[in-house]
Amino acid sequence: MRATGTRAAAGLIGAAVLLLTACGGGSDSQDGPVELRFSWWGNEQRAQATERAIAAFEAAHPGITVTGEYADFNAYFDRIATSVAANDAPDVITMGGAYPREYGDRGALLDLAEVSQYLDLGKLDEAATSNGRFDGVQYGVPTGVNSYGVVVNPAVFEAAGVSLPDDTTWTWADFERIAAQISAAAPEGTYGAEDPTSADALDLYSRQSNEGLYTPDGKLAISAATVTTWWEMTSRMRNAGATPPATLTVELGGQPAPEQTLMGRGLSGMRLDWSNRLAAMRTASGAPLVMMRAPSESAGRQPGMWLQASQLYTISSRTEHPEEAAQLVDFLVNDPAAGREILTDRGIPANPEVRDAISGAFNENQKVEAEFIDRISEQVGPPLVVGPVGSTDTRSILERIGSDVLFDRATPADAAARFVDEVTAAIS
Amino acid sequence: MTEPDRSAPPGGALSLASPPTAPAPAAEAPPAARRRRGRRSQRAVRDGRVAYLFLAPWIVGMVVVTIWPIAASLYLSFTDYSLLRAPRWVGLDNFAEMLGDERLVSALGVTFTYVVVSVPLQLALALALAMLLDRGVRGLPFYRSVYYLPSLLAGSVSIAILWRQMFGTDGLFNDFLALFGVQGIGWVSHPDFALGTLVVLNVWTFGAPMVIFLAGLRQIPVMYYEAATVDGAGRWARFRHITIPLLTPIIFFNLVLQTIGAFQTFTQAFVVSGGTGGPSDATLFYTLYLYERGFGSFDMGYASALAWLLLVIVAALTGLNFLLAKRWVFYGD
Repeated sequence: MRATGTRAAAGLIGAAVLLLTACGGGSDSQDGPVELRFSWWGNEQRAQATERAIAAFEAAHPGITVTGEYADFNAYFDRIATSVAANDAPDVITMGGAYPREYGDRGALLDLAEVSQYLDLGKLDEAATSNGRFDGVQYGVPTGVNSYGVVVNPAVFEAAGVSLPDDTTWTWADFERIAAQISAAAPEGTYGAEDPTSADALDLYSRQSNEGLYTPDGKLAISAATVTTWWEMTSRMRNAGATPPATLTVELGGQPAPEQTLMGRGLSGMRLDWSNRLAAMRTASGAPLVMMRAPSESAGRQPGMWLQASQLYTISSRTEHPEEAAQLVDFLVNDPAAGREILTDRGIPANPEVRDAISGAFNENQKVEAEFIDRISEQVGPPLVVGPVGSTDTRSILERIGSDVLFDRATPADAAARFVDEVTAAIS
Repeated sequence: MTEPDRSAPPGGALSLASPPTAPAPAAEAPPAARRRRGRRSQRAVRDGRVAYLFLAPWIVGMVVVTIWPIAASLYLSFTDYSLLRAPRWVGLDNFAEMLGDERLVSALGVTFTYVVVSVPLQLALALALAMLLDRGVRGLPFYRSVYYLPSLLAGSVSIAILWRQMFGTDGLFNDFLALFGVQGIGWVSHPDFALGTLVVLNVWTFGAPMVIFLAGLRQIPVMYYEAATVDGAGRWARFRHITIPLLTPIIFFNLVLQTIGAFQTFTQAFVVSGGTGGPSDATLFYTLYLYERGFGSFDMGYASALAWLLLVIVAALTGLNFLLAKRWVFYGD
């Protein structure tokens, strides 16, 4: 017994010593290199460019190392939700749309005013910067500026013997007609257009009739009648073969990367998408894709298109290194060295100085995108109303009810009523 | 602890390492051991402590990763908890919300359909193959391993991705149909067929119950069959009146296990539907809906309530299974 007691004491002391050393080790590392985690969504191409930008940052800031984490768009926000809930959020988190409000209002994001001495927002485009500001609190920093429009493949038009539309005058009826013409003349497996239904498309379409998805005070703005007209159009297009059959559309919905879209594979004539994805789709398809204004921009009550922050860099409120995280974000948006790597992949840089510094490095793909943004910047409608808390559910609600329309399980009118009900419930 | 252990030589609990020398009960222990009874009880206490010390990793694991989360989820099921803010007590609101939740109804529908269709199919296939292998196939260990392999793999993400490709528009399955001039569709993307592909995936994992059936078949004495054959029983009669009755405990075991497993299906449905339960909620498994509410809509309180409802459903069905078992399971006594 005696011997055991002594041994136990020795063991306890040993354990205590180990613990103490461990604590010592912990406090030492405060002075060592700071490790940051930075997350984004996107494809391999974006990851490579971002890793190069990170390397440039690390070279400029010895003592800070950055680990990149990325996933494709569909999986990304699931992952962020779980890691934030587990108190294991990355230090710098890429977000978009209403997500900063969703997380910021719940206390997960840092108010960037707290780190303003490390992060200069003064040179960034004000409209884009305002997309990261919610009720006066700046949670996000715009990565760049983009716009939702129509990506067009002239090669598919030419092969089908259809002439390109004039995007200053065309309407949704033209869009529908042209898509059907292309599908009819194109080889099997090539479609005039991809199914255009998305939350952004509905936003754009309803803004043309002065609605939009949400009101500034966080209510639903779009009417069931507008959603009905939209789904009547997409159903006609699907029935006419202008867009792919329902199963293919659903399948494509699960593959968001630009190179997996029909447009990225050279198999469709038109696709509604974001301008910052144009370069990736041009690279993937090898075709001289161009960007056009959405249909009916001049025919509606107001233009539906808008310029916005394509993505927003945010900082976790639980980061142990807010200053270093702010330095990283500052580098990404304000330093031409980062701009030269990322180019227009996250939108046209919101800092004009960066944009001018890197425009010489633009290749054909980025030039086309930059020219498009330049061209439309005078013609877009009012700034977008970003959705309230709960509005990040809209995408999945639309996908679910939209597939009922695709498979004729619900009439456009019934589906529209359900959509309005469910989104209203989600945001209230 | 059993008697022989207590009379084991000094070294106490560690005697597990050395085989017990004398399996004699305490009554037959040598007198010397009996004289040390007082000290022995002291040692028994110490042995108990040592036992708990060895059990500690398991107990800590059990409390930290099982009991604590279960208790926490019970508490959370009575709260409004958005993951990022502190939970707020709402009483029975979450359970009241379930009553009017249409998606919960469709999730229950999908899950029950899946269980009712895939479990019997899987068990039937498992039993059929077990009987085939039991007839003395050459290279039995090889076949047994090959058929068991899917059970090890099927829960994995890679198999689910493979499945999605196989039953996609340009998938292997449609290539196969094309041989017969049939033009297939994207099976996993069609609301009428998506669940079917997952049923096929589950049936494909017949290996685990098959191995258990095989062991059960080996337990049936050959003389029963011989006697029945002498009495003129045909192949069907022998199956119906010997194999099935003697196998009922095994069938019951597999049924309970596979039913519970099927209720908990998540990975396959999550991957095949891209995390949405789509198209049109056709693959919205209960667990997937629970996940979506918890991590998609940040309704962790409601998701916890859903988890408890699932527990009650599975427990009730398992209880029912045991109750019914009295009528058909034959334990040979």
